[in-house]
Amino acid sequence: MRDQTVLDRRLLFVVGKGGVGKSTVSLALALAALERRKRVLLVALDLADRARPIGGLKQAAGPEPIEVLPGLFRQNVDGRAALEEYLQLIVPVRRVLRAIFESKVYQYFVAAAPGLKELMAIGKIWYEVDRGRWDLVIVDSPATGHALQYLRMPKAAYEAFSTGLVHREAKRVWDLLTDPAATAVSVVTTAEELPVNETISICRQIGDDLRLPEGWLFVNRFHSPDFSATELERAAGLVRKTASAFERSLTKAVLGASEEESSWASLNETCRARLATETGWRLALLPFLFREEFGFADIEELSSILAAALSAHGGGRRPEVAR
Amino acid sequence: MSGSLRDLIERHDVIVCAGSGGVGKTTTAATIALWGAIEGRRTAVLTIDPAKRLADSLGVALTGGSEIAVPPELLREQGIQLSGSLSAMMLDQKGAWDALVERHAPSAEVRERILKNRFYQHLSQSFAGSQEYMAIEELARLRESARYDLIVVDTPPSRHALEFLEAPQRMNDFLDKKIIRWFVKPYVAAGWTTMRFLNRTAGFVLRTLEEATGIAVLAEISDFFGGMSTMFDGFNERIERVSRVLRSPKTAFVLVSSPEEEVLEEAEYLSDKMAALGMPLRAVVFNRVHEEFNRPIDRTDFPRGEIRGDDAERVAVCLERAGIEPRELAVRLARNFVAYQDLARGDCLRLEQFSSSLPRQVPIVRVPNFSADLHDLGSLQRMHPYLFGKS
Repeated sequence: MRDQTVLDRRLLFVVGKGGVGKSTVSLALALAALERRKRVLLVALDLADRARPIGGLKQAAGPEPIEVLPGLFRQNVDGRAALEEYLQLIVPVRRVLRAIFESKVYQYFVAAAPGLKELMAIGKIWYEVDRGRWDLVIVDSPATGHALQYLRMPKAAYEAFSTGLVHREAKRVWDLLTDPAATAVSVVTTAEELPVNETISICRQIGDDLRLPEGWLFVNRFHSPDFSATELERAAGLVRKTASAFERSLTKAVLGASEEESSWASLNETCRARLATETGWRLALLPFLFREEFGFADIEELSSILAAALSAHGGGRRPEVAR
Repeated sequence: MSGSLRDLIERHDVIVCAGSGGVGKTTTAATIALWGAIEGRRTAVLTIDPAKRLADSLGVALTGGSEIAVPPELLREQGIQLSGSLSAMMLDQKGAWDALVERHAPSAEVRERILKNRFYQHLSQSFAGSQEYMAIEELARLRESARYDLIVVDTPPSRHALEFLEAPQRMNDFLDKKIIRWFVKPYVAAGWTTMRFLNRTAGFVLRTLEEATGIAVLAEISDFFGGMSTMFDGFNERIERVSRVLRSPKTAFVLVSSPEEEVLEEAEYLSDKMAALGMPLRAVVFNRVHEEFNRPIDRTDFPRGEIRGDDAERVAVCLERAGIEPRELAVRLARNFVAYQDLARGDCLRLEQFSSSLPRQVPIVRVPNFSADLHDLGSLQRMHPYLFGKS
């Protein structure tokens, strides 16, 4: 029997700072789950933030899941649409609904009902997990601030409304999010100073404030050259004055690229160490891939590296049970 | 020559740096501001990023809400001489809204109530465009103060800067005078029993929503508008005035991008939309560009006249001849080099394709991929030759 990994849970959130590769990692996770013969739904949450096709896969255009590879479905979920969908269920008269959505007061209502949009979006994700059509639902979340707002909302909502419909909905959703057997929140970062600062704060908010089950901290675009700074320094001293102009200019360029790589590696390593000590999360390093163009095959490559990292640690330490 | 970034900045009072998150926008804004200050302008840089990146870049602890002069000892440490001056400001969105409430609430009691009001909290914290709107308010305030002759703005990391450009309009639409007037009427606060006196659609909509969801909002909304009624006198006119700074001929938009495919796609979309809005891009800064080997290539070693991904062996042979040993190290270094050449070739192709879609007079600068984060004044200054040429 295969070891349990985070891919054996039912709901994975992927969060992180803008531009660190959340969508790439989400897709790589989805491919790793496909490899394990799982039926996977990859949700793009609030795509309005950053609509981009990825790895040659077409973005699902609408709110309904679309099969993009055998066993892999994609779906967009956004707060406004989810709220409207929900209202359609509870206000069944079409004419009345139209009046509501067209009215400016509707916006005021949304504004005065805190987090209702976010709650409904998470509620829709809850529905997808609950209806049992998928083995795994992966949520590619918007950039940090907004993503945490989504994760925070169910709790805020059930605390704000002590009874009634919203309270019940919110409680159900929060119970799922905090169930360590079902859910994990993973964070993506690059090993550079500013993203790391933000990541440390994200991990703290997820673990300490929200007490959601920790997944993995994926450290993307990690440089690990197969030469050392010492080797490089020695090599630089060996260049012969007698070499041709071309040989010297080429050697200079080669040494320049080596130094660049070496300083990335040392920066990445410093940041990795900081992430390890300051977050205490399990880290999985994803290598920087040197490609003229980044495509689907590259995501497949990252996916197998990632799958190996997840399995090597198995289920890892048990996440704390949220209270 | 008319097409340089240097000239562009000399000719404008406000520079707005736009682009996707994570492309070095904040660093670029700080770099431009530092250059302006060195060149003799009284410069302020306004940043909005909650990661407080500019604080890192400028070595000042920005608490938000007001401009702080960059400490002279920091400049001295780095050997930087300013002919002008340099201040930095971190936008504190929440603080800026709260200050508005401070100014307009008729009493301390109303003020406290408004600050806790859910409608107000949404408007000031999460309403799409409210962060952007406050940034523009601050920009207008700095400009009206006449204390600066160059203001560089770092835009919030929204999906595209459109949100920034459209923020005043959006705020204007949202705070619709007619509807506000309705909420301010005293009988609204009295509750639903007086409904028949009210705007029928609006009242009906709210009541249906309240009943369907069990969330009572009427009291919150009317309390907010009622308590803040003086703030909304002339608010629409003020939004109009504030938005004028964006359309001023002395304001220039600079796109900041990286050479990655997805980032360029967004940049292209942004560039088209901005042109359509009548606020076209005036310059483009590409950060993190890998550079191709651009020296003459010896064809006896490289018959194709270029160095490609499968040329590691050939490169290693040249390295050995130049004295690098052992051979096995030369091979490892050569492999790394051709990998970097692959990146450089990809960057170059994508940038050329992107640039060909821009009007010819738009200056384009490329900043190489520095291997360390830039976060002190000295490293910002090292970017100047790439942006502005040799001085």
